Amino acid sequence: MPTKAEKTTARKKRLKSFFSIDRDRQVDGDTINNKLLNEIVAEGGASASIAACMQCGSCTGGCPNADKMDIPPRSLILMIQRGEWDKVLQSKTLWLCSSCYTCTSRCPRGVKPSDVIEAAKALAIREGIKNDSVKFNTIFVDLIKERGILFEPELMYKYGGLKEVIDQAPLGIKLTLTGKMSPFPEKVKDPKSFKKALEKIEKVSKK
Amino acid sequence: MKYSYYSGCSLHTTAKEFNISTQVIMKELGVELEELKDWSCCGGSIAGGVSHDMGMALAARNVVLAQNQNLDLVASCSGCYNKSAKAAKALEDPKERAKITAVLEDMGMEVSDNNIKVKNIVDVLINDIDYTGKIKHPLTGLKVACYYGCLMTRPDDITGWDSPLYPMSMDKLSEICGAEAVDFRAKTKCCGGPILVHQKEVAYELTKALLDEAKSLNADCIVLACPLCATNLEIRQKEIEKYYNVSYNLPIVYITELIGLALGISPQTLGMNKHVLSVKAVIDKVKNNPLVAA
Repeated sequence: MPTKAEKTTARKKRLKSFFSIDRDRQVDGDTINNKLLNEIVAEGGASASIAACMQCGSCTGGCPNADKMDIPPRSLILMIQRGEWDKVLQSKTLWLCSSCYTCTSRCPRGVKPSDVIEAAKALAIREGIKNDSVKFNTIFVDLIKERGILFEPELMYKYGGLKEVIDQAPLGIKLTLTGKMSPFPEKVKDPKSFKKALEKIEKVSKK
Repeated sequence: MKYSYYSGCSLHTTAKEFNISTQVIMKELGVELEELKDWSCCGGSIAGGVSHDMGMALAARNVVLAQNQNLDLVASCSGCYNKSAKAAKALEDPKERAKITAVLEDMGMEVSDNNIKVKNIVDVLINDIDYTGKIKHPLTGLKVACYYGCLMTRPDDITGWDSPLYPMSMDKLSEICGAEAVDFRAKTKCCGGPILVHQKEVAYELTKALLDEAKSLNADCIVLACPLCATNLEIRQKEIEKYYNVSYNLPIVYITELIGLALGISPQTLGMNKHVLSVKAVIDKVKNNPLVAA
């Protein structure tokens, strides 16, 4: 005679192999790997119901850049459910997302793909991935930490070097003539403690 | 009526006319704007993708400044508005609030319990003010394509005052001014703002689709309320024309400028002489409006 505990395990096994709606079962029979999912949630996807994705594809259907992505948003969510971080990390999708929130607005399950992608970007940057988008985004944030207010000419110089500055020179002249560009950057009243407080966040998240 | 006003980085540089026209029309309509004291960058769509906590802290800093001034916050820039609204919502969540408070305390700031709302200028214009009786110079005959972009109405759990996919508020505002708002299907399609530097060609393509549709509808101009959208649509329009070997010559006008014109304020006072791409065609059409001349 099987014991009560054995019976429960057998029942659980049976449930998994049929059309149960166990939380960890996906439409194609995969199980969720919680490790990556939890990392995404911890980084900033707290309100995103990643596990609830039913692969309907509304996100991909509404995405303005899906045709240029190697992994469309729908598949990206599935990969995150499966815990396939290497594929997500190498994907161009993260850097083609223009944060337009169309996917999030269309999603019938509250998955919030834009929040998920935003969190995945942060994880990828922390893991040391390198490309033009990462370069731009990190320079942008570094400059804000410095003074609290963005000074665009500096951003363009740090990102594209002298070439970018020369390319943008005609525009720069036009902006200066219309009084839109000052040679002096603006800043917050106390840039020192502003920067220090923000650097502390980075130390915590690197741990 | 009084609000705290968060202008933001772009409105001090490339979108100066948006800043000027916002302040001028609000004054004309009897709304007081008190500049947010010691504001900083909201982090845009970028900071959150480098570190969530960094993005939140940056955006929340401005919301807390408004709380300390005890005034509802108004932002003209869609990005500043969106990120501030997101941060205001995060401040209601105990976990997020604790993290934000820690950073802001390091900056020597105190998070207060003052409950304030974060609003977009378009939300204020359509829902808090009625300027129907103040139109001195109806823009009859002017065809406008109202472009909302992404961050003004999405995601709707933090915006919520107009449809996330087919909003009508700016169309209504333009119609109150006497202009004709065309049925612009691409009104909430992304222009590629946050990726405009590092994915240039992708942003070109997205922006081109918007210009194509507005042109095909015979719009005299695109009306918008986001400096980043304007960077793509206006400042880069010449680049896009060259890249695709096409010609648009389509003026880009901020909604606040359009309303200003209808209120009878001179284009110069509204800062309309500061556009990189001339808006003379729009001003001429308005000036020569036979209804006003008669």
